[in-house]
Amino acid sequence: MNYPVWYLPETGGGILIAVIAVVHVFISHFAVGGGLYLVLTERKGLKENDAGILAFTKGHAKFFMLVTMVFGGITGVGIWFIISLVQPAATSMLIHTFVYGWASEWVWFLVEIVALIIYFYTFGKMDNRTHQMIGWIYFAAAWLSLFLINGIIDFMLTPGAWVDSQGFWIGFFNPSFWPSLFFRSFFSFMLAGLYAFLTSAFLKDPRLKANMTRYSGKWALISLLLMLPCGYWYLSVLPEPARMLVEGQSPTIQIAGQYGLYALIITFVLVLLLTVVRPALNNKLIAVLTMIPAFILLGSFEWTREAARRPYVLNQIMYSNGVTIAQADALQGQSFLAPAKWASIHEATNQNLTLAGAEIFKFQCYACHTIGGINNDILPKTASMDFPAMTGYLLNVIHKRPYMPPFLGNKLEAMALAAYLVGDLHDKEVDPALITASTDMGQKLYNDNCVGCHGIDIIQDWAAELTLVEIIAGLESLSELNEMMTDFSGTLQEKQLLAGYLKSVVTPPSSPVIDGKSVYDQNCVGCHGKDIIVAWAAGQTESAVSASLAKLGLLNPMMAGLSLNDQERLAMAAWLSAEQTGGK
Amino acid sequence: MLSMLPAPDSIPTSWGYFQFFLLLTFPLHLLFMNALLGSSVLAIAAHLQASQKSKALAYELAKVIPLLIALAVNFGVAPFLFLQVLYGQHIYVSSILMGLFWIMIIPTLIVAYYATYWYDFKFITLGRNGVWVLSFALLCFLGIGFLLSNNMTLMLHPEAWGAYLSNASGTLLNTQDVTLWPRYLHFMVGGTAAGGLFVALYGRFLARKDASLGAYASAIGMKLFLTLTVVQIAIGTWFLLALPKAQMLLFMGRNGLATLCFVVALLLIAITLFAAFKQKVYLAATLLAGLVYLMVFMRDFVRRGYLEEYFSPEMLKVVPEYSPLIFFIVTLVVGLSLILWMLRMAFTPLLK
Ligand code: HEC
Ligand code: HEC
Repeated sequence: MNYPVWYLPETGGGILIAVIAVVHVFISHFAVGGGLYLVLTERKGLKENDAGILAFTKGHAKFFMLVTMVFGGITGVGIWFIISLVQPAATSMLIHTFVYGWASEWVWFLVEIVALIIYFYTFGKMDNRTHQMIGWIYFAAAWLSLFLINGIIDFMLTPGAWVDSQGFWIGFFNPSFWPSLFFRSFFSFMLAGLYAFLTSAFLKDPRLKANMTRYSGKWALISLLLMLPCGYWYLSVLPEPARMLVEGQSPTIQIAGQYGLYALIITFVLVLLLTVVRPALNNKLIAVLTMIPAFILLGSFEWTREAARRPYVLNQIMYSNGVTIAQADALQGQSFLAPAKWASIHEATNQNLTLAGAEIFKFQCYACHTIGGINNDILPKTASMDFPAMTGYLLNVIHKRPYMPPFLGNKLEAMALAAYLVGDLHDKEVDPALITASTDMGQKLYNDNCVGCHGIDIIQDWAAELTLVEIIAGLESLSELNEMMTDFSGTLQEKQLLAGYLKSVVTPPSSPVIDGKSVYDQNCVGCHGKDIIVAWAAGQTESAVSASLAKLGLLNPMMAGLSLNDQERLAMAAWLSAEQTGGK
Repeated sequence: MLSMLPAPDSIPTSWGYFQFFLLLTFPLHLLFMNALLGSSVLAIAAHLQASQKSKALAYELAKVIPLLIALAVNFGVAPFLFLQVLYGQHIYVSSILMGLFWIMIIPTLIVAYYATYWYDFKFITLGRNGVWVLSFALLCFLGIGFLLSNNMTLMLHPEAWGAYLSNASGTLLNTQDVTLWPRYLHFMVGGTAAGGLFVALYGRFLARKDASLGAYASAIGMKLFLTLTVVQIAIGTWFLLALPKAQMLLFMGRNGLATLCFVVALLLIAITLFAAFKQKVYLAATLLAGLVYLMVFMRDFVRRGYLEEYFSPEMLKVVPEYSPLIFFIVTLVVGLSLILWMLRMAFTPLLK
């Protein structure tokens, strides 16, 4: 809304963030845990007066410096770059809210650099006590960096009380701060052990190699075991909607969760093997193989953390497409394009529907959907819908989905987006008249035939109690209601349109009840075809079907957000039974 | 295109603090960046010479180059943070418009960084091929500098942002701006000149171990500084004349403070050149650091001049919350004390 969108429809910004972030996080956690590993291993070498261990520590320090300072440091800047390119509004908000937190983190980053450089270049040349002290300073600075950044990252998922009373400290020490800090600390100690497997694998002396492998394995094993309860603690502080997404509402998170679980088990088994069973087995290949599941584990953790706050980029504050909740509220039913600063079209008309729709997609949907890309591709997701169904989905369904922001815009803009998705992306037919006709034609008939004598209010009172069929019957015998009126003499279609219009002004406009088919079009078509519903309803009575429709969430958690009112359920049940008999 | 300018977020303390931190830290970034450029250029030049001494100097420079990258990056982070706080709605937009180039800075930097470590750790085995490795890294640095110049000028031109409407893929640059090239060259040539002074200083340090090597380093460092500064004066004039009249006149009396900065800077250049001519390394280096600060202040006047009609940081809404500022200052003091202590521990034995 506020910012331009860097538009790479086949790639998607999300995947760019994910790639840089996961790589960075895998290294930056090592930068923390590895610091502790270095000082303690050096101390071990000093205590045991073992030149082999000390030489190993120095070699490990070089590897550590090359990995964390170059790759870790620069990808850290990379994350910062990429989030400001892909999520500028959210980045701006985080920067402005936590600027002094970031600034303090920068101080520790500087201390880290100086300490690590001195630690490496003076290894063996400085008196031991001072050298150890420098190592400790490095570790403290690295852990404090984690401490600071942790508060800001967690804020994005669990802003907690900040939402009501903004303030630095409230946002920083948010509900998931402590569990996440402990989880990440133990994870970083585990990683330190795993990375050390790799440097140990390069050792020539077999005794030293086995010795260091077992020692590093103990690090990994103990940290892994301590990490588990922290992970559980973390899950338990998640707010309800996020937990529901994690626990099954979102199929993609479930998949990530499974990967994470397998990765955890494989890591555990490999570490156990190298530590307890046969340290001598360690070699470069095994060491790398042990790191892969750990990488996947961390990846699935970070991915779940990101996905669990959908549809928000800043939970309860700003949607993923950069629109804040407050802005969305203010936009209810208004034009989205008119105030959109960076759109090239500011008004959708019947002539520019597809172009306007493309703009709306860019500013509202692209944040989470690619077009033909790997990540959450919109093409298969919209393949089953035709133009009226897509329009109905945007107007009536999308805001009920737990992981998507509401569609923002007026009716014409919904049609524009539908025209783009259905007509442009899927090459299907788009006929705006189909949609404008139903209510607009009805209204026109009303204007042409009724307005002359009285307002809508008395007709409303009359129509409120009647079904569509009764209204149509009533229209055919208006003279019986009052002799001033003549019977309405339009075609059957006109009678239906007029009746539909009258009904729509009686019931709230968001749920114009016409028939079961349209209830289906507006609520269900997005996810599955009608066959599966018809098959399910087969053999059940209409009232049983209607009762089950009230509890769709029980059939599948994906449908938990769907709610149909009594009329809609009855209409749908009736339609389903008609479909069956019709189908036979 | 005023209507495209995003609405800024509010800030927790008065804008002056951020301005202060911005102007305090950015020159440090420049100084490390300068040292990096000068060291790389002179390492390449020395490596190409036949003499044993010049090879030895290249090796000594190889050791500091990666460290200079680390510090240049770190000291780039702080001012970039404060820049985002003060001018977020400008810098985010310009970054997005050139998004593809902007993100390419990261892989380029990683590769160049590793190249410099390679040059250092494998100096002997690489032999003459090392020149290629370091030249490649230098080319990367110059490229990154070009992208930074683009972004820092594109953010000043909201009227050019309309190009986004026909190209949203992040491949825009600011090359149509006539000030871009003189500005970029001003930074790169001036930076390399200043880097020459850094090498001269480094020579003084090397002289404790090896007097003739140190003297050699100081001599070629000074030579680079003197030569390039003369070129730099020409580029600086070009840059000044390329500025829009309104910005140029800021230094010609329209803004008292800006004019004062300009005049003092001119004087400082003269004195620094004189000191360098007399081979007074420490004096010249100190004066130069002051000069870089003045240049950064002048740059800030230009920026504010450009943005005058759109925005000024005074307009940012303050929602006061001062405790995080205090937290930051305490952190800074603790962090700096630790750094000083560590440096003392590391250098005391070396200086003995
Ligand atoms: C906050 C991220 C987000 C945004 C923004 C978003 N979507 Fe989605 N969308 C999702 C996710 C997540 C899914 C389900 C993916 C899964 O787990 O299968 C989804 C699924 C869908 C589906 C499949 C049906 C359904 O209800 O699950 C359609 C159609 C769809 N999106 C259209 C859109 C359109 C059109 C827009 C823009 C108006 C949009 N989405 C914006 C995240 C988003
Ligand atoms: C967000 C996507 C989504 C929407 C919208 C949706 N469903 Fe479903 N529905 C599902 C999923 C997922 C399943 C399980 C799919 C499967 O087993 O293939 C399911 C299963 C069902 C089943 C059970 C079928 C069986 O044989 O057990 C019924 C009945 C059903 N849906 C009815 C509906 C109705 C009626 C609507 C509209 C009011 C609707 N659904 C809207 C996602 C959705």
